Amino acid sequence: MIDWREFDQNPVSHSAAHHLTSIQQLLEEQGYARVSDVARKLGITRGSVSVSLKGLRQRGLVIEDQHKHLGLSEEGHRIARGIHTKRVLFQAFLRESLGLPDELAELDACKVEHLVSDVTAEALALFLERRPADDEARAELAEQVKVLEKSIKEGRVETFPCKEIEDFSSELMRKNELENNTHDDE
Amino acid sequence: MTTNESYSRDEALRRLNELLAEEMEASIRYLHLSTLVQGIDRLVIQKVLKENHEETIEHAQQVSEKIIQVGGVPQPKINLELTGDKCTGIEALQTALLFEQAALDAYKDFLDTVEGSGDVILEEFARQQVAIESEHVSELQMLLGESSVGSE
Repeated sequence: MIDWREFDQNPVSHSAAHHLTSIQQLLEEQGYARVSDVARKLGITRGSVSVSLKGLRQRGLVIEDQHKHLGLSEEGHRIARGIHTKRVLFQAFLRESLGLPDELAELDACKVEHLVSDVTAEALALFLERRPADDEARAELAEQVKVLEKSIKEGRVETFPCKEIEDFSSELMRKNELENNTHDDE
Repeated sequence: MTTNESYSRDEALRRLNELLAEEMEASIRYLHLSTLVQGIDRLVIQKVLKENHEETIEHAQQVSEKIIQVGGVPQPKINLELTGDKCTGIEALQTALLFEQAALDAYKDFLDTVEGSGDVILEEFARQQVAIESEHVSELQMLLGESSVGSE
């Protein structure tokens, strides 16, 4: 039986997920990240960011240099990339397969991005890539997911997200941006 | 005297509301920390934390007054996540140092915003708060046996 209380004990809390992905985005966008930049991006106080980062530093996910510039450790980067990839995959699924409006898809993807398992994210990537149209294709996909799940459990699969899935999620993002731009032009 | 051409009333108000949120959150954090301190430290550290709690409330009131004087409305965006387990006095002070340093950095940025703007009252207020917050940070560092902690 599922113990829903365990979700609150997830290794990466919702707040931690946003701090890690914000630092990563700031590093990509402007080449540096400070407490004040993270606070502005998340719309919270610097005090809150500083206190949250304390735990992430202790866990070795966030690093800070002598000029108070923030960075991510290798593990911090991996977690941030994983969360971001899961968000993009879920958003694409909700938007493209269920037809939900982009804003709602983004909001709901944000709620689950840090909680879903790597197996589910990998399966979702497979689904979005194949788009099985009939029962036969769906059964084939289900078989592949079973093999994938076994491989992940046995540690025979590269840690999430692998390069192929990251590239695929970047492609989904580009496609989404392109469609949004087209809608804006219309 | 240099003039601050980038100064705008809206920017000053935005920063004042950010400062108000910093102070309000800090007051609640101090109160929360004072309940978490365990062991023999509790006798001494709890008193320090409660005094700081009261002082941050006063600071929040002062910032609110300034917002009204500038013609704005106090609208702090509070998003407080209080977690943590029981802690030692040292751990509580280390946490306090983090958000005090953050508040000091925010006041310094505010001073940069209003310095040379011609708004003497806000400039003086910012200078005074930078001095007070610097003292807070120094006091916490002394209690922790640290010499100095750089700011952003």
